[in-house]
Amino acid sequence: MKRMIKSNNPYRKILFGKEYETAQLRAAVVLLIPSFLAILVLFILPVVQVVLYSFTNYNLTTGVKDFNGLTNYKFILTDNQFHKALRNTFVFATGKLVIDTSLALIIALMLDARVPFKRYLRGAFFAPVVVPVVASSLIWIWFYDPGIGPFNQILEALSLPKSQWLYHENTALLSILIFSIWKGIGYNIILFLAGLQNIPDSYIQAAEVDGATGWQVLFKIKLPLLRPIISFVVMIGIINTFKVFAEINVMTPKGGPLYSTALMVVYIYEQAFTKGKMGRACAAAIALFIIIFILTMIQNKLDTKKSISLE
Amino acid sequence: MKKVIAVFLVLLIITSIVFAKGAAETTARPEVVKLQVWYALSGTSGESFKSKAEAFDIARPDIELELTYSGKYADTATKVSAALLSGDAPDVAVMAAGQLYTGGRGDFSMEEFAKDPEFNISDVYPGMLEYGKFDGRLAAVPFGISTQVLYYNKTICNAAGIDLEKNPPKTWEELLTLAKIAVEKGNINKSSDFYGFDTSDGVWLIKSMFSQNGNPVVKKAGDTVVPVFNEASGVEVATFWKKMIDSGIMPAGQHNNAEKKFLAGNLAIIAASSNRISRWQGNTSFELGAIPMPKFSQNALALGGNVMVILSEDQFKKEAGWELVKHMLKEENQTDFALSTGYLPIRKSSQQNPKVQELFISNPLYKIAFEQLDYTWAYLHFSEMGTMDAMFWYALDEIEKAVLSPKAALDKAAASLIKEME
Amino acid sequence: MKKKLHKVNKPVLLVLLLGSLLMIFPFVWVVLSSFKTVADVYAYPPKWLPSSWKFSNYATVFEMIPFARYYVNSIYTSVMQTALQLGISVTAAYALVVLDFPGKKILFSVVRSTMFVPTIVILIPMYLMVSKVHLIDTYAGIILPQIFTAFTIFLLVSFFRSIPHDLYDSAKLDGCGYYRILSHVVIPNASSAISTAMLFSFLGHWKSYTWPLIVTNKQQYRTLPIGMKYLVQESSSEYQVMMAASVMAILPVLIVFMIFEKQLVKSITLTGLKA
Repeated sequence: MKRMIKSNNPYRKILFGKEYETAQLRAAVVLLIPSFLAILVLFILPVVQVVLYSFTNYNLTTGVKDFNGLTNYKFILTDNQFHKALRNTFVFATGKLVIDTSLALIIALMLDARVPFKRYLRGAFFAPVVVPVVASSLIWIWFYDPGIGPFNQILEALSLPKSQWLYHENTALLSILIFSIWKGIGYNIILFLAGLQNIPDSYIQAAEVDGATGWQVLFKIKLPLLRPIISFVVMIGIINTFKVFAEINVMTPKGGPLYSTALMVVYIYEQAFTKGKMGRACAAAIALFIIIFILTMIQNKLDTKKSISLE
Repeated sequence: MKKVIAVFLVLLIITSIVFAKGAAETTARPEVVKLQVWYALSGTSGESFKSKAEAFDIARPDIELELTYSGKYADTATKVSAALLSGDAPDVAVMAAGQLYTGGRGDFSMEEFAKDPEFNISDVYPGMLEYGKFDGRLAAVPFGISTQVLYYNKTICNAAGIDLEKNPPKTWEELLTLAKIAVEKGNINKSSDFYGFDTSDGVWLIKSMFSQNGNPVVKKAGDTVVPVFNEASGVEVATFWKKMIDSGIMPAGQHNNAEKKFLAGNLAIIAASSNRISRWQGNTSFELGAIPMPKFSQNALALGGNVMVILSEDQFKKEAGWELVKHMLKEENQTDFALSTGYLPIRKSSQQNPKVQELFISNPLYKIAFEQLDYTWAYLHFSEMGTMDAMFWYALDEIEKAVLSPKAALDKAAASLIKEME
Repeated sequence: MKKKLHKVNKPVLLVLLLGSLLMIFPFVWVVLSSFKTVADVYAYPPKWLPSSWKFSNYATVFEMIPFARYYVNSIYTSVMQTALQLGISVTAAYALVVLDFPGKKILFSVVRSTMFVPTIVILIPMYLMVSKVHLIDTYAGIILPQIFTAFTIFLLVSFFRSIPHDLYDSAKLDGCGYYRILSHVVIPNASSAISTAMLFSFLGHWKSYTWPLIVTNKQQYRTLPIGMKYLVQESSSEYQVMMAASVMAILPVLIVFMIFEKQLVKSITLTGLKA
């Protein structure tokens, strides 16, 4: 865009003179100072500390803080529980990300169609996001109860086999996943809806006048225009799935049956607060940090590749 | 827009300063010592503690207390650790016994204070004193102590034709037999999720069982602590545990759900803390009964519950804190606390307290916990005891789900524990 | 321009209605359970309707914990955090999208990388820092560490990017400085996005749990989610009281959502440049 204006705009001097650039810099500095300070104090400083602690045997209960090199890292890399936590995290994250994004998109498209009761429907899909985690976790523990819970009651009524839900290593993680999706999908739906509403009716009407079918409108107009929102949702999704903690802590304390619902965050929490091994927890946290970083880098690369091909 | 932001910022800064000032503590004058007291007690226990502390506050004009409920045991432990690091720790705390303060930091010994004649240390059950020790030194004073008690659903047992009051099981084998009968004949709700026995705290129970089989769980070897729970006596216990699962009386891996099952009438017998008496009495849809815990080869019961600790380094605060501790542990106060909550009295002299006698008659359930006082026991507290509890949890999971044999699971736990202690 | 509804898409409607039932049935359960008696709660097979409507459960909540105080604290901290956060995010997003300056790309990555840091990782260092400046158990201590989320910034960035450059250029030609552009061009055109950001921000802060948990020790500063947790511990067998508390905790956010919903769906016309 800049190039276009530069080449044939008579007002070039006003828009791209040296004054213009310093004015921008000044404005940028002023506007960004609060953010910069916040980042420094709230993120950079603590993260630096965490990195430093990860090389010590910092113990919460005894207060010792001696340098011990790579001991912590060696420990977690050979720790069976760490491996399990890693595996669980990937399985969970993949499931959650895929379903959260695609299902939300489908629902948002449906909500954008010609249907009445939009206000009620939107409210209904968003309601789970609003319920406090502790309360909703407790409700769902009840639902998942193998003996007196309604879920098994329904399964029984449909002549299907009952499940142990949260108490069996094969079903526990799935149970948490279902809950997590129920709880979080509303966010994505609202984001997609806002994006869809941003698409001017004129585009769609013009296409319909030209004889485009619903599916063509969807794939050629709506989806491409939603691209920035979709990539935003995916990026946020990656980060958020790695943060899931409260519900796991409430519904399956101590890492769940045979450590099947222990995610990385749970592992870190356990090392830090149950065992007091802050040094080790910091090492695990750095490991988590690196993983998330790599994943978003990958997502970013894929994203830029796609948008180049579109243009 | 910028103006709006600026206004907001200014507003916030002003309000924060106002509030922050409000929260800042005023400097203590030596005539009145101010104590920050955190307690990890909720419900009836919390209220009982609070009212006694407030009575102390009124009676002692030279000491002022600020009482705060700091959450359950785990939360309080986390907060206290964090607070110790930053120097914001409370002066006195009522919290679960653990490696945290009990000497993990090296120096909260109460040995000197405990020599105070008013405290009358010989009146305290020795097992309970052990519970407050760390590394052999008295680091905390037992306060809200409990053991597990065997509760049972009288309605179910009657339907199954067993009378636990008349013929209580004396050993675990006997319990197993009775539970089997309950499972066969006692399913009055026709539930598909019906069991004979379970416990809400498997780790607690198995520690008791280890001791009952002559296994002290860990022991001191020179400078370090070594696990002994994977010796033959320990493996015997674990094998029996597996037997309970295999015989169908206990579900695998559902301890978290045990209390709910019991309250819903789908569990015949449960081993749970004695302080459930105050919570469950009168609140169950069935008739509640309680009997003493059975034994393996001898009688022993692991202690659980909370203790009082003095965390302050300040000389005056320490002394004031000790005065509070003494007050709370006076026979009539501590007994009163125990009776209203289902915790145990820590003093032998409480048996003579008329209130206690009265209560036994009016509420026989309380008597059960008291009857077990003589064989209360605490294993050696050491710096990795919290980790050890976690290991036991995993080991039980592996044993119950037949992932590892009892011996293998205990060996694995012992090896991990040794590794953690390096 | 409202879409004409004479051609209702029936199959889609059916699917949506079913889906909505799935989403809200736990909510229905919470409300119904808040009126139950203890016996109802443990009944098997599970009872949906209370046997008698105990409105007193709601009063019991206030007896068990200082619910009103927690409520006020939550409202105060959430509002302040949202206001501050929006201030920071709008200015930052604007600068990152519209302005051009050296180091922009680096700053972008830095902001993005803060999102990778799960709260739990920086919990203890943050706690130590906050206690060093004596902000433990203060409102400032709860509010300040939570005012920066890259999420909000990136949300706004995504929406700001969709504002066509023509608008900026014509504003510049009219002689607007950068601050004016922000207030007169960007904000009016992205009102839907800012409302969305505000809603999410408020919601996030309302539910915020881990940080307030660790930074408050005293009752009078606790917020609602923590209060709920303590209620759980106090009333572990009084499920119905917990449900009453949950209903009361949910209401404000639902109300906020209802209010802002209109703006969320307002379409932005891209045809015709605004003067």
